[in-house]
Amino acid sequence: MTLPNTTSTERAGLLLRAWPLQLLPWAVSAAIVGYAFIVGGYVATVIAFALVYVVFVTGLNLFMGFANQVSFGQNAFAGLGGYASAILTTTYNWPVLPAMIAGIVLAVVIALIIGYPTLRLKGHYLAMATLAIGLITYEIAVEWQSMTQGYLGISGIPPLGIGSYEIISDRGQLAILSIVALLAVFIAARIKSSRMGRAFLALGASENAALALGINVSRTKLIAFLTAAAFAALAGALFVHVVGYVSPEVFGLHMVILGFTMLYVGGIGSIAGPLIGALLISLLPEVLRGFKDYQDLFYGTALILLLIYAPRGLAAFFERRERTGSAS
Amino acid sequence: MITRLSINNLTKRFGGLVAVGEVSFDVPVDGVTAVIGPNGAGKTTLFSLISGFLPPTEGTIRFEDDNIVGLTPDKLAARGLVRTFQLVQLFPEMSVLDNVKVGQHLHTSSGLLAAVLRPRATRAEEAQVEAKARELLDLARLSHLADRPAKILSYGQQRLLELVRALAAQPRLILLDEPAAGLDANESKHLAAMIRQIAASGVTVLLIEHDMSLVMSVADRVIVLDFGRKIAEGTPAEVRAHPAVLEAYLGGVEIADV
Amino acid sequence: MSDFTYFAQVLVSGLGTGCIYGLIGIGFCVIYNASGIVNFAQGAFVMLGGMITQVALTRLGLPLPIAAIIAILLVAISGTVLERVVVRPLWDRNATMFVMILATLAAQIVVERATLLAVGDQPRTLPVFTDLPPLKFGGVAVSLQLIWILVTSCLIVAGLAVFFQKTKTGKAMRACAIDREAAALQGIPVKRMLALSFALSAGLGALAGVLITPTQYTAFNVGVPFAISGFIAAIVGGFGKPSGAFLGGLLLGVVQAAAIAGFGSGLKNVAALSMLLIFLFLRPGGIVGASK
Repeated sequence: MTLPNTTSTERAGLLLRAWPLQLLPWAVSAAIVGYAFIVGGYVATVIAFALVYVVFVTGLNLFMGFANQVSFGQNAFAGLGGYASAILTTTYNWPVLPAMIAGIVLAVVIALIIGYPTLRLKGHYLAMATLAIGLITYEIAVEWQSMTQGYLGISGIPPLGIGSYEIISDRGQLAILSIVALLAVFIAARIKSSRMGRAFLALGASENAALALGINVSRTKLIAFLTAAAFAALAGALFVHVVGYVSPEVFGLHMVILGFTMLYVGGIGSIAGPLIGALLISLLPEVLRGFKDYQDLFYGTALILLLIYAPRGLAAFFERRERTGSAS
Repeated sequence: MITRLSINNLTKRFGGLVAVGEVSFDVPVDGVTAVIGPNGAGKTTLFSLISGFLPPTEGTIRFEDDNIVGLTPDKLAARGLVRTFQLVQLFPEMSVLDNVKVGQHLHTSSGLLAAVLRPRATRAEEAQVEAKARELLDLARLSHLADRPAKILSYGQQRLLELVRALAAQPRLILLDEPAAGLDANESKHLAAMIRQIAASGVTVLLIEHDMSLVMSVADRVIVLDFGRKIAEGTPAEVRAHPAVLEAYLGGVEIADV
Repeated sequence: MSDFTYFAQVLVSGLGTGCIYGLIGIGFCVIYNASGIVNFAQGAFVMLGGMITQVALTRLGLPLPIAAIIAILLVAISGTVLERVVVRPLWDRNATMFVMILATLAAQIVVERATLLAVGDQPRTLPVFTDLPPLKFGGVAVSLQLIWILVTSCLIVAGLAVFFQKTKTGKAMRACAIDREAAALQGIPVKRMLALSFALSAGLGALAGVLITPTQYTAFNVGVPFAISGFIAAIVGGFGKPSGAFLGGLLLGVVQAAAIAGFGSGLKNVAALSMLLIFLFLRPGGIVGASK
């Protein structure tokens, strides 16, 4: 349709409106992954890591962005999933897929055991307790040498695959991880617009109002926690099979800060946020050469600045947001 | 007269302070019962005791033959006792429609797996939830704002939304904590009509109110609290003429105005 | 060595580290009382205290007392910098408690990594303050460094008590702890108290770092375990009570020393962390304070 009296700028404006801003993070993400797929090699490896983190951060977002709870210990569940899968495939020669599933189940069971007493805590007690859980897991990974080989770590972990079919090529890994990451984001989106998702959001906004409407707040919190733990464990298991190696450092405090930076860059509480956040943050060290040593320094600084100046992250640009005020 | 709620000798002490002292009254199934009293009379504490947000020091609360003391608010909501708050407690970032959908949590059942896989039963349930929510928004005259975040609503609209959200939980007894606070005359009138409509549909209404005109126009029975004690009980006309009430209200100016 | 002297030896060394945890715990309380904030970067101060002293000693060739004082002052200043650059902007924006925790934890990481880049990852240590053989009480050896730690800590705790009870500034800080809004109405400069609490807390942390480093070592990443231990001390003592935090620190130190004696030093952190969880789950109000 052509409008006779519109100038080119007006038409551009119409075009922009026709192509909603909400699609931007998806388009950029697709472009990044597509580029990595074409170039392959090192870039593909970097983006593969990023996609693993998409899964981790999506889980974090469920618990923190939706249900508005605090956990500094999600690395514990990634570690559990990762180590369980690594040990089962190397020491006990399990096939990869059952080992990964066992890792996730183990993490969820542990999350259930510690989640019950932990989630009764509030505020900085909850924050410190979850931080402690992450650190205990790290210490156990270091100390339980007969199982984990301590600081040395476990190497020779088989790559992802089903049966005798192993995915070894960069592009193959990238393809399968893209599917898994998209699936994780898809699951989060479906949860958000469901009965349980609404209950997460409700208790996150006002525990009293949620209680008054008959939502069992402690149980719902626990469900959100277990879901987040499952996502973290899946990410941990994916990580060890993609890299082929695991050591305690992989799941240390570094993972917590990195996860939070990605979450806040993308936009906490949004669906596309974890995706775009993880991809962009993973690309940064590659864009800035010689940046490697400064990674955590940069992430920490970026996180502080985001928290102060842009607490909604990129989601502020691509999600519709309305100001408070009266409407009629 | 069938009783929905029966309060017996209910007492709440905070340290040495008696917020609610030996209060007893019955709320019949039909109609609207109002609790009035000057500021600090213990009305909100009374509501918190009934709705399970505070444990009483002494006394019993019977809801439809069961003593409900010690039950948590979510358990009470499941039994059909739902409250609203004096300071509106909406879910501000969620849409107006989703706020009402949350209200139906109790009467739906799909869990996480159903959320992801969305089998036919879940889709049907979701459609039903949506239809019911829109119906309730119509009642509150908020349909045109269904997809906007709740925080953009005006104060009066937020109150109405909280009310229909509570209705979505299908209570048999609804506790309204100062529902008319902050409403203008028009909104107040609309609210009064809604409250009558709710009562007519068989839901017992128990409300706390400051706005006397609202109480006088909607309440069938009034209970008056002062300093945590019940000082009078009766029809609006009886209470209005009660000497203790007139005294509590400083010469009864507020009541005489109506 | 008899069982008794072995036990006494464990107890004595536990009391030494316990004092350090107590000082760090007091640091938590000082900031918490002034602002309601739990500063997760507390460990960075401890690490910086030992590290700056070590660098001033070896690279600048300063005598140990001067190096230590310079380190403590620099860290106190860095505490106010943290307050001004990270905490105050968030405070002014009414950030949630969680955002505040996350930001201070991020600050911890930033300090840690900057230190790694500046001095590398090799553990460093300081010479003991007084290089004489340990004193013997029966079969129990008490090193002079331990005596330094015990005496200094006790002096600090006593000094803080006087500061909070007698001085105008100390009383103002206590007023902030009781009711910040009321304090502001009385004309107490609440924000300056916040900055001061960070300086004081950072200084205490640095002192703890200086005292402990000769008996252990310091490295860029020792901060978080120290912070956790200090936090445990604060919780055990009923959060917000400086004297309780000190006692909590002593208790933690002894428990940890016993755990090391029983199970080996590898489980030192696990023992402390488990103690934290046990306290959080069972007695979140601490043993001194009432259960919340």
